[in-house]
Amino acid sequence: MANDEGIIYEYVWIVIVSAIVAGMAASLAYYGIALDLNPACNATPIDVGTLTENFQPGVKQLGPGIYQVNILAGQFFWNPNKIVLEDPVRIEFRITSKDVVHGFEIVGTNVNVMVIPGYVAEFVWEPPKNAQGKYLIICHEYCGVGHQFMKAELEIKRTNTLLSGDSINTTGDLGKFSEVKYLEFKGVIVDEG
Amino acid sequence: MRVNEELFAKITIAFSFVIMAVGGTFGLLQALNRVPFLSLPGALDVSDPTYYRILTCHGVCLAVAIPIYWITGLAAFVSPRILKVELDKRLLALSLAMMLVGGVMATIVILAGKANVLYTFYAPMTAHPGFYWGAALLILGSWVFIAAFVKQYLQWRRLNPGVGTPIAIYGLLATFIVWIEATTPLVITVLKDFIPMSMFGKHVDVLETRTWFWFFGHALVYFWLLPVVAMWYYLIPKKLGVPLFSESMAKVAFILFILASTPVGLHHQFTDPGLAAEYKFMHTILTLIVATPSMLTGFNILATMERGGRARGGNGLLGWLAKQPWKDPVYLGLVTSMIIFGIGGITGIINASYQLNMVVHNTAWVPGHFHMTVGNMVVIGYTTITYALLADLFKRKLISKTAAYSHILLWSIGLFIFSLAYYYVGLHGAPRRTSNIEYGGLLPSTWILPMEISAIGAILMFSGGVAAVYAVLGSLLFGKTKGVAIEGMKIGNPHPETTEFNPLLENLKMWVIFAAVLIIVAYIFPFYEIFSRGISPVPPVETGLS
Repeated sequence: MANDEGIIYEYVWIVIVSAIVAGMAASLAYYGIALDLNPACNATPIDVGTLTENFQPGVKQLGPGIYQVNILAGQFFWNPNKIVLEDPVRIEFRITSKDVVHGFEIVGTNVNVMVIPGYVAEFVWEPPKNAQGKYLIICHEYCGVGHQFMKAELEIKRTNTLLSGDSINTTGDLGKFSEVKYLEFKGVIVDEG
Repeated sequence: MRVNEELFAKITIAFSFVIMAVGGTFGLLQALNRVPFLSLPGALDVSDPTYYRILTCHGVCLAVAIPIYWITGLAAFVSPRILKVELDKRLLALSLAMMLVGGVMATIVILAGKANVLYTFYAPMTAHPGFYWGAALLILGSWVFIAAFVKQYLQWRRLNPGVGTPIAIYGLLATFIVWIEATTPLVITVLKDFIPMSMFGKHVDVLETRTWFWFFGHALVYFWLLPVVAMWYYLIPKKLGVPLFSESMAKVAFILFILASTPVGLHHQFTDPGLAAEYKFMHTILTLIVATPSMLTGFNILATMERGGRARGGNGLLGWLAKQPWKDPVYLGLVTSMIIFGIGGITGIINASYQLNMVVHNTAWVPGHFHMTVGNMVVIGYTTITYALLADLFKRKLISKTAAYSHILLWSIGLFIFSLAYYYVGLHGAPRRTSNIEYGGLLPSTWILPMEISAIGAILMFSGGVAAVYAVLGSLLFGKTKGVAIEGMKIGNPHPETTEFNPLLENLKMWVIFAAVLIIVAYIFPFYEIFSRGISPVPPVETGLS
């Protein structure tokens, strides 16, 4: 059965395949390490029984352009369900669930994080400079019969033209894409101020 | 009743197609109901929570039940004929009883609306205990079958020292090794967490149970597709009448699947908070490695096809392609499933690419991807292989060749339309697993047209599915018992099944130990992180009741 005719091509192919895999791995490592672009990885355990005392949903401004946004998810709501931020540069999200697993997605951006009961997800989003207008927030993990009704709205207002950069996208389309190059997920633990 | 190999295979394989009819119909209903602003006539309109009930059934039936039944059936039929050693009849009977009782029990609970938890059944959402017991029984039943299979293999090995394992058997062994790797963590968490949660209200840590689930969830993928890969390696050279381009490289591919199909589960949890970036990245690298055996397979099979085509008189750069036995539905189906799997596999690399995953995680991109991989392997792969089994196992003539061709054609075209539309809306953020994506009219306008197009794809897929079920079940019920429309597998013919003995490739015990070490290394860190931080259990939430 052994047939060595043409087997050299197979070795060539193995080298090509290995090079493809190594190249992909290297590029992912470059983005992860050099550009610090990583998925949300930080979480702090929290007792779901004591959420009302220990977790206050809402938006708090920590400095110019710096916001802390605490969001509580539950069947079938996001609290707060309307978030307005002026000229955000750095948004520190803290999100948890009071019941089952939910999925936090800001449509049209790369913000995509699982919301796991018992844990507060903590991550930082630096929105692209041309992010502006209303964004739809949905739940992307099945959470029960009313899953499809779970939504919220994020509005980014731009007052300072210097901050908003040269290429302002003013379409206001909810489905627009953010520019990945400005996007950053850092697993930063946010201290309660 | 005495259960021999043939009876076992007949029952499990025929049952798979009954399940396919049910699960496929639900799939069509889902695809139609997800189209925004489309009003459907009464019977087709599926409102919540029925939508999630049939979605659960679609996932469990097509992704868990069919593969278990069909693969064990295929192995029960093929292996005794190739190895010429019988399977243990008592284990076969026990396995069949456990798998049927378990599968039927879980399905009844789902259809009764007592387990609207989808096929991932993430805690703390809880279903009726019958769902978990049924699933556990189904899986333990498959373990009993594997015990019989391994016993048979070892017996063959004792009788045939110094002979290479036939490639079909090698592939099936790899399939079952991967299945044991996959289901062990699932059985652990179902027994330790889910059954106590649903029966006694045990509080469980959700991050921990998710990690156990995906420890299972990705290796499951390779269980689905490895038997089809084994049959590409086995049947394609046979149909062409030439030896496989490189049998040793085929075995290397299976070894890579054994090694790397399980320690990759965190790529389903990239967006889970509470798992460190380093561990997620380690699983990313392992996921890229598990793409290599598929690339080796693609090369090996295409090279075999070229060799076969040239032997049949095909000349020039691409002349060999025209000389393939395309008129044989089994051959056509095997090659079609490989092409579609190649495209679906590439989109899987995008899912697995760490940062890119943030764009597509839990969006419609994901069902676009897995219908091209597992959906294709089951509906094109399993079904066309079953056409060959009609002659060998069921002793029936295929009722209609037209049905077989339409099945392959309609389903493939429908799949391309459906999946491309889902890829597109997924990139634009449309969620998966959601009965209605209108969001009170706030949905981006970019979602609407592709979702309408996806429904056309789904209708074509459904038509192809109807043709497939008709071709198989119709032949079983009404097919002639004499004559052959499609040739069978021609086991043992024309050349002997056994091959050269390569001690390194035949030492599967060593590779299983390596795989176990790799799995432990890949999972000890994330579990250490979860437990050292202190778990955070939460109470169960009843949501399966409708």
